[in-house]
Formats: sequence, C-alpha cells, structure tokens
Amino acid sequence: MKILVCIKQVPDMESRFKLNSDGTWYDETDLAFRMNEYDEYAVEQAVQLKEQLGGEPEITVLSIGPDRVVEAMKKALAMGADRGVHIQDPKYYQKDPWQIASAIARHAASQNYDLVFTGMQSQDRGSAQVGVTVAEILGFACATTLVGFSYDNGVITAKRELEGGTKGVAKLKLPAVVTCQLGLNTPRYPTLPNIMKAKKKEIAVQPIAELLQEEELTATARMYPPARKGGGIVIEGDVKDQIEKLFGILKEKTTVLRAA
Amino acid sequence: MKALLIAEYRQGKLLDSTYELVAFAKELGAETAMVLVGSAADAPKFEGRLYLADAAKYGEYNPDLHKKLVLAAVAKENPDYIVFIHSSYGWDLAPRVAASLRTGQVSEVVALVDGKFEVTCCNAKMRRSVAAKGTTTVVTIQAGAFSLQGEPQGSPQVEALELAETAAKVEFVGYEAAEQKEVDLTRAEVIVSAGRGVGKKENVPVIAELARALGGELGASRPVVDAGWAPHSHQVGTTGQTVSPKLYIACGISGAIQHLAGMKKADFIVAINKDKDAPIGEIADVLVVADVMQFVPAMTARCAR
Amino acid sequence: MEATREIYWNVGHGVVLPMYLLTLIALAVCGYGFYQRVAVYRQGKPLDRLDNLGERVVLMFRNMLGQIKVLRVAGPGLPHGIFFWGFAVLFIGTLLVMLQADFTQPVFGLVLLKGSFYKFYSVALDLAGVFALLMLFGLTLRRFLFRPEGLKITRDDYLMHLLLTGIILTGFFAEGVRIAATELRLNPGLAGWSPVGLLVANQFAQLDSSSLKQLHTLWWWTHFLLVLGFIVSIPYSKFRHLFTTPANYLFTDLRPKGSLATINLEEEGVEQFGAEKVTDLTWKDIFDADACTSCKRCQDRCPAWNTEKPLSPMQVVQQVGEVAFGNPQGSLIEKVGNDVLWSCTTCRACQEICPAEVEHVGKIVEMRRNLVLMQGEFPGEEVMVAVNNVEVNGNPFGMAYASRGDWSHGLQVQQLCDGAEVDVLYFVGCYASFDKRNQEVARSFVKICNAAGVRVGILGKEEKCCGEPVRKLGNEYLYQMTAQENIELIKGYGIKKIVTTCPHCLNTLGRDYRDLGLDAEVEHYTVFIDRLMREGKLAIEAHQFDYTYHDSCYIGRYQDIVQQPRNILHEAGGRINEMDKSGKESFCCGAGGGRILAEEKLGTRINVKRVKMAEETGAPVLVSNCPFCLTMFEDGIKTGDCEGKLQARDLAEIVAERLQPASLSKVLEASR
Repeated sequence: MKILVCIKQVPDMESRFKLNSDGTWYDETDLAFRMNEYDEYAVEQAVQLKEQLGGEPEITVLSIGPDRVVEAMKKALAMGADRGVHIQDPKYYQKDPWQIASAIARHAASQNYDLVFTGMQSQDRGSAQVGVTVAEILGFACATTLVGFSYDNGVITAKRELEGGTKGVAKLKLPAVVTCQLGLNTPRYPTLPNIMKAKKKEIAVQPIAELLQEEELTATARMYPPARKGGGIVIEGDVKDQIEKLFGILKEKTTVLRAA
Repeated sequence: MKALLIAEYRQGKLLDSTYELVAFAKELGAETAMVLVGSAADAPKFEGRLYLADAAKYGEYNPDLHKKLVLAAVAKENPDYIVFIHSSYGWDLAPRVAASLRTGQVSEVVALVDGKFEVTCCNAKMRRSVAAKGTTTVVTIQAGAFSLQGEPQGSPQVEALELAETAAKVEFVGYEAAEQKEVDLTRAEVIVSAGRGVGKKENVPVIAELARALGGELGASRPVVDAGWAPHSHQVGTTGQTVSPKLYIACGISGAIQHLAGMKKADFIVAINKDKDAPIGEIADVLVVADVMQFVPAMTARCAR
Repeated sequence: MEATREIYWNVGHGVVLPMYLLTLIALAVCGYGFYQRVAVYRQGKPLDRLDNLGERVVLMFRNMLGQIKVLRVAGPGLPHGIFFWGFAVLFIGTLLVMLQADFTQPVFGLVLLKGSFYKFYSVALDLAGVFALLMLFGLTLRRFLFRPEGLKITRDDYLMHLLLTGIILTGFFAEGVRIAATELRLNPGLAGWSPVGLLVANQFAQLDSSSLKQLHTLWWWTHFLLVLGFIVSIPYSKFRHLFTTPANYLFTDLRPKGSLATINLEEEGVEQFGAEKVTDLTWKDIFDADACTSCKRCQDRCPAWNTEKPLSPMQVVQQVGEVAFGNPQGSLIEKVGNDVLWSCTTCRACQEICPAEVEHVGKIVEMRRNLVLMQGEFPGEEVMVAVNNVEVNGNPFGMAYASRGDWSHGLQVQQLCDGAEVDVLYFVGCYASFDKRNQEVARSFVKICNAAGVRVGILGKEEKCCGEPVRKLGNEYLYQMTAQENIELIKGYGIKKIVTTCPHCLNTLGRDYRDLGLDAEVEHYTVFIDRLMREGKLAIEAHQFDYTYHDSCYIGRYQDIVQQPRNILHEAGGRINEMDKSGKESFCCGAGGGRILAEEKLGTRINVKRVKMAEETGAPVLVSNCPFCLTMFEDGIKTGDCEGKLQARDLAEIVAERLQPASLSKVLEASR
C-alpha cells in the first residue's frame, strides 16, 4: 500500500499577524510556524495504519510552500512517515485551493497512491477544499471530517463528525482520500531516536512549476484584521442596563444567540 | 443573477440552516432555486424552484450521488452562485461540485462587501476579501452568519430530480448519537466559566445555569477545581483544557496566565468581574463590572426569555 | 600489682588458631558477599566518582567519624551517633587486644595494655559499651514499640538489633565472670576501673572458680560467634551500610547541586535515552540503593508523599536495588510506576537531608527522560500541549513569541537587539514576561535597577524559555534546542553578567548551561539586591511589616541562598515569623520539576499545604522570590480559603515600594 499524507505548515494562531506588502496575505516576520493541527491527526492516522498493517505501507508526506515547510515535514517523518516530497513554492499563498489541489493530484497520479490522508482544513486559509478536490480530480472515494477511522481489507470505515456531536458512519473502498478532524486520534510526540532518524530520511524537492498547469479560479483581493468585536468595551452601571447592553452586543457580534 | 441553494436534510428533517441560504441569496439580490435531497413532506418555504430528490432513494449522505443531483440542477438553472452552508454536509459536497464544474469555490463566507466575499481566516484573527473568476461560483457560508428577517415564506415549484445511475463510491452506514458521558469543553460553542469570584461552592450551579441557558458548558478556573467546587473535567487553562468556543464568559475569574492561555482562542470573550483592573479585562472583548452573583442569575433569566 | 590482664585467660592460647581461622572464614564470606554485590553495581553505566580523590577521602572521614549527616536529624541521629562512637571505641579496643596478644607481645615482648593506660582503656571500653547499649535499647524501643509512621520493620532490623545487643551483652558477661574469677579476688582495686564488668562480676561472685570458668568459656565463645555472625551478615543485611554509606560519602557528587547529566545529542548511533532498565542508570545509582538505610528522612520531607501522592523517594531508591539484584533485565519504570515518577517536584528535600548522600532526583529524571524521549509519554495531555508551545513559541503558554517583551513598554529597560550598552542582562523568564501577576515583579526589578543606577537590558522577543521545566520533565532534546538558541544569543551580545528573577532560570543558566558553553556570571536578584544594598548603591526605607518567608527550593536548597533575602526584608522593616519548615528544610510549593505545567491529579494540593503553613505563623504576608512559588501561592490562597488573611508578595515588590525618594527620583529620571 502506498499512502500519501498532505500537510501544511502554518503560523501558530497565537501569532500577531501583520500584512505583507501587497496586503493580500500575512507577513512572515515574527511568526512562529508549526504543522497545521489538523494535519497532525492525518499523519498520526497514517502511521497508525502502517503499524496496523505490520509496517508494510510506505508513507510519503507532501507539503507545498517555501523552504521553511521542511521543518513540519521533518516532524511528520519523525512521527513515522517514510519519505518526503517538498513542492517548492515561495508564493504558495497566491495559489488558490484549486491550484494547490491540482498540483497535489498531479503528483499523486504519477505515484499510484492507494490512500491519501490530510487535515480537513488549514488553520490559516481554512477553505476545507483541498482534500476533497484532490479526490475529485483523481476520481478517488472521499470522506471528510473524520473523528473515527478503521481499515480492514481494502475498506475504510469512516466516522464523520456532524453538527451537534452526532456522527455519520460511512464505508469507502480504496483508493480514497480522507480528511481528518481534531480529536481523530492522539498525535504522538516523536521519540528522540525517531527525530534523529528523520533527519536522514529523503525529502525530494520539486518546484511547483513542474506540477502546476491550472490557472487560479479565485483570488484574494486583500487581507485585513476584523474590526475588534467588542473593542474592549467596559460595561458599568446598573445591572439591568448592563444586561441589556451585553445582550445586544452578543446578538450583534456573535452567532450564539441567533442559534438559540 | 441566480443562486442555486443546496438545502440540508438530516435524520428525516429539513435543517433550519437552509433558511440562512435564503437570507444569503436575498443579500446577494439573486433569484433562488434550491436543491433538496429530502422529502416532499418537509419542504422548505421560499419563492423559486425546488429540485427535490428523494432522500429515501439517494440517501442523506451520499456525496457522489448528491453531487450528480446538484450538477443536474445546475445544468437546468445555469446559476451564478451555488451556495452551501459551511457545514459537515456543505464542505464535503461543495468542492466536488466545484471541481466537476472547474469553477472557483469561496469557503466560509461571513459577509458580502463591495461585490466580494468576506471570509474568515487564521482562526478568525484575520479576514480576507475574495473575488471569484469565471461565471459560476461555488460558495459556502458560515453557519449563523446570515439570518432571515421574519418567518420563512413562499411555496416553491417542485421539480423532481432523478438519476439514471446510482452507483457510489461512499456507502453511508448510519448515524451515531452524540456521546453523552463527559463534558468535552474543546468542542463546546459556548463556555461559561466560574472563578473564585463566585464566592462559594453553592454558587457554581448558578454559573452552570447560565451555561445551559446559552446552550453551552460550564468551565472553571484552576482554584475552583482545586477547591473541589467543580470536577476536573471542567477545568480551563494550561493545566486543564485548551478551548476555542464562539463565546466564552468568565465569571469572577481574575485571569492568571494559566487560565488565559487556555481560553484566549475563544472568538468572543466576556468577563464579569467586580474588579475593573483584573487582568482578564485585557483580553476580554467585553468587561462587565458587576458582582457575579447579582449579574449572572439576571442574565440567565434574560437569556431564557 | 600492675594493672593489666591476661589475654586469652581461661580460653587459653589454643583458641588463637581456630579463632583466626574462623575470623578469616567470616571475613572471606563477608568479602565474597560484597564481591557479589559489586558485580551487580557494575551492571550500571560507568561514571567517574573518584576524581579529586583527596577531597573525597576527607569528606568521607569527616562525615563518617563526625556522623555529620546523621546528626542533622537529632531524634534518631544522636543515638545513632553515640552508638557509632561507642561501637567504634569497642572495635578499637578489640583491635588493641589483638595487636598486643598476637603481635607486639609475642614478637617484641611489648605489653600495651598495662598500668594507667590499661585503667583508662578499661573505663573507656566499659563506658563505650554501656552508652552503645543504652542507645541501642532506645533505638530498639523506637523501632519496635514506638515506631514513627513510615518506619518499616524488616528481617534485617530484627537481626541487627539482636546481634548488636547480644554482642555487647555477651561482652559484658564474659568480662564480668572473668573479673569475678580473677580481679575481684586478686586485685579488687583494678576491678573498679571496669565499672560495668564489676557490676556483672558482683552478681556472679558467689560462684566457685570452675563454674565461673565454664561460664566464661560459654560467654566468650558466644560473644565471639556473635561477632562472626555480625561480620558475615554485613553484606547480606542492612549492616552493609557500615561500608556502603561511608563509601557513598566518598563517591559523592561534587558538581554544583542539581546538576543533571547532559546527554550528548551529537553522538552517532545512540538509540537509547534515559533509563528504562536499571542497566541504563549508572553504577552509582545502583550503589545508592545499598547505601540507603531506609531511614525515611527523605520520605518525611517529600512534598508529594506528604500530600498523599504515590511517590516515596526512599522507595524509588529501594526499588532500583530490588530490580538490580532481582531482575536486572526487567523494566525499572514499570516497577516504579509512571505516576510515581511524574509526582516528583525535584525539590531536592530528599537529597538534602539524606544521611547517606543518596541521589534521588537524578534517577527520577533519567526515568522521565526515557518516558518522554523514548515513549513520547507525558504526565498528561496538557503537558504535551505546553511542551509543544515551548517548541513553537518559546513559552509554555503558547503566547505569541513576538509579545514576550511587551511588559517592558514604558520602563527604562534596554532591548539588546537595539544595540544598547548594559551592565546586566535581565533574563526575564516566561512567567514574568507573560503572567500579569509576575509582570509586577519584573517591573519592580527594573525600578530597583534604575534606582541603583544599574543599566539593565532584556532580550525581549528574542528570549526563549530557559528550558528548565521541560528538562525536568525529561525532554532533554527540547531543553538543549532552546538552550542553544539562548546561549548563542547571549554570547552574541557579549553579555558578562545575567540577573534572573526566576530561580529556575538561575539554576539553568548558571549551572546547566555551563555544559552547553555559557560562561557568563548568573545571579539571582536577591543576591544582586543584597549586594547593592551592602555596597550602599541602593537605599530603601524601612516600613514595618510582619511576614513569613518561603525559601524556594531552587534558591535555598539548590543555591544555598538563605540569609540574603532575610537581610533585605529586615532592612525593609520586616519582622519575620518563620515557618517550621524553612531554609534548607523548606517545603516545596508544588511547581518544580515541570509540575507547574501539569494538573495535580493525585492526592491533595501541595500549594494549599504550604499556604496553610504560612497562615499558621499568623503573618499577613507570605514573601517569596520565585515566579512559580508566587503563582502557586496566589492559587493556594484562593483554594485554601486564606483570602484576606494572607497575601502573597514577591521580594522585589516589597523592595520597590520602599525605594528612597532620592532613588525614586532616579527612577523617574531614568524613565524620562
């Protein structure tokens, strides 16, 4: 079995975001980068499957982005992936999800993967498109938002997280793409010997241009911080007035009272 | 301009979120048509054409067939926008439709600004304004971001959708009810947390009541848990759980770093504290300067109204 | 008539050969026992503990002969000491007899035991015997009748108490009947020099000479055989501590306190980190188990044990021995248990008090290293999150690293990245950087520096967690990664002197970083302020207040800084109300050893226990000088219902509030 895990390196969401010079994406100075959290679950699930199958599957971890993404790939390799493919693209943020998915699919088509794991979305762009689109281009079966995964004899039983905590169970045959939700498993902390071994694992580098033939279908016009929701409002005075004020703010700035 | 709305139907019921699609279409100023894989018995109220496929035949979750059904409606309507809710159904199906049409998709739209879509990114810390190229655009809208003013009205013209071929790659097995056992604060949309400022153990249920009124969970600071006022599973903070609800209400919590680190990812933070200078005020979106035990019960009553 | 006695009286010189033969056999059995044990010690990894041999030998004799470590707990320590000295005198006495009877007299015709020296010898041995016996009696009562909680009775204890009591009693009986048969009749004046012997002799005075001789033979042989039994049992019972404990003084750790082995991560081909099996520890770790006498002093002081957690440092040490001798290929970690290992706060109370110089903390950290580095295990998911945060953002809270220096806005403190010239680098640490409560401490410290005219700088967003909590949790890899970055940075700025407000940073930068190449001077602000005040560079006004002072483990026990904070607080007008557990005997706040990042799931709260101790002093203010302690106390005061009764303050805040107007104007000037 050949497994592909697609991961992204994203800024830690606690970082302070500043805009880049053309105002369409964040500037990378002062940002701390880490593996997209959803993708950690994808890597873990792939490694667990490999362990379940006695180590037979070969796991390739793929990431698109500038050279820094190699750090995230090394973590995936330390967690148990076997080899890496770094699709080099310093201008990754100018590609839309369609282009990213097309490039991945093009790579995947040449490698005959049986199963593709990825996070259900990235923490920075959060489009939740790439995994499904890859499946669609490749003609693979696909299930998203997995909180449960089991594999037996060519069939995946996927437990999808639905709204309100309900889960939907579906079966899909290989070849397939699954996208992973937080809580699917407990991503392991790489052991030191595995961190050391990961440093020696092969990471193939390929420029994005070799894989990308598609034009973008959507484009970011600009990026900006949202207006601070409460603006640090301080409500003082009579309790009754305070409640009305707070109620109004919650109704306006959050969605929780609408849903109720 | 025309919008094809993709309704949601689950466990034998049309989901209310369907009307958020209608609200969005209104804001777009578009004519509406809708696809529903559901049942005629529980049809949505709106003006326009309803392409109805039978959920008994095509399943509630069968992305391969649902994609084909949507594509069939698209062929008939030739819409400018194909709109889904950004939900487990929508984000699963929308990219399949978009890829089949080779058209752009804009995910989790929260607003329309100057003809462009505003979407959230970076954990809601940033926004992006996205423009689609091409004639048709697939859109998913954030749940709760658009709401219909007034009751839904209208009666659509129903047109049945059928597929000749019903082979699918994904086989739906069934639903599993949400586990009811322990609280999972990491998944909660609303958390109302008690700190030492609530005074005594007997007051913690008062905080829990507000949480319930808001459809959320009770959280607690470490000193509250340490004192045995609330079980460990409710502790928020570095030595408890790290949470990211849509709304976090901190009641009588001064805001030690170990607590702040666990809840700072919340989308919206309300602090109720009698001390105006409490550190929690620095990260709160709203600071209510009040006695917790006076304010909270009154707030609970207001929410229940 | 000359004062002396006939050696081998009654038993005759014929016993010499069998006596020496039997003794040699006993010694051989004893030696063989140790030989076997040495083989077990050698299963451990090599470690050089014989460097600076001269210093070590002096330490050994001083600690052994002076019973210095034993006497630190007077209750059982003094009886042990007196017994030891008594028994030592008896041993020397016996050696003298041997020397005379079988060497100096037959070879040179020299009799040592005669005249006044013999009288002195007789009295000394009798008194030594009686003191030893009394102490032994007391210790027997303690062990078997009035047993303090936690003290165990094992097979060895019965054996040891019986043998020792028997040896001394039979010695006195043999002496007594000898005196009854000889001196009492021939030289009564001399008998008075053996007061105990005389007392016994008087009981037997009525017996005839041949009965006395028979009895003497019986007692002599019983005494002799008991002594042989004693010799033989040394390696096979807790008696072994006669040799292993002094040897442990010899093998003591001469490095600065709290030093851990720095793993060489560059070494090729190493695939085993930390200790899973006993063979992954050093020989000294196994030897420690033999040096331990289960005196439970460590357990009595362990904050985890005292709050109903499963950790007993004594038991961990004993378990190392059990596994080493019983099942050396088995899993030591399994035997000890993960919960036990994670309970340790590395407060070092165990090691500080241990009369046998056993090293507890290093073993626990080695096993933690195995859990983290080889198995990816942590005490809880929250700890894994915190560790990941340190990795990504350089602080355990996951706050944006770029905001690390934000607290300093508006203060007169230089950012080194701006190329500022400074006298000292203030290494702020994570808590003072991000925690609002501890930011007050940081601000206070900067004000104090300003007032003293010290140019102070910080690394700001370039500073990273010193790595202490993750290191103590066993994550040596992450520790070294962050440490390297800090070291390169500090060296790059050419820093000569660093001051910390956090004792954990202090120990890490000042001691642990040495192994990784940092050699700048590192000082805790308490010492720094104390010196500024003594040198007259910093003047404060005394405003009277009552307080109790908590000695942070990493300041008191680790760094021996006990007096300086009290001096400063005295100058500030403070009247101290000491807690029972203070100074080197201080009780941990519960946050050390990386526990600050972990939920305290087992037992009761350590911080509450400590806060209650502070409350009992009646002082309204609990002063500490460690951000972890302050954080734990702020929580503990809330949880322990001490709000309004007790206030947790940092020493820097107290000082900053008392800066003299003249100094204050300097602060204002500086911040202009």
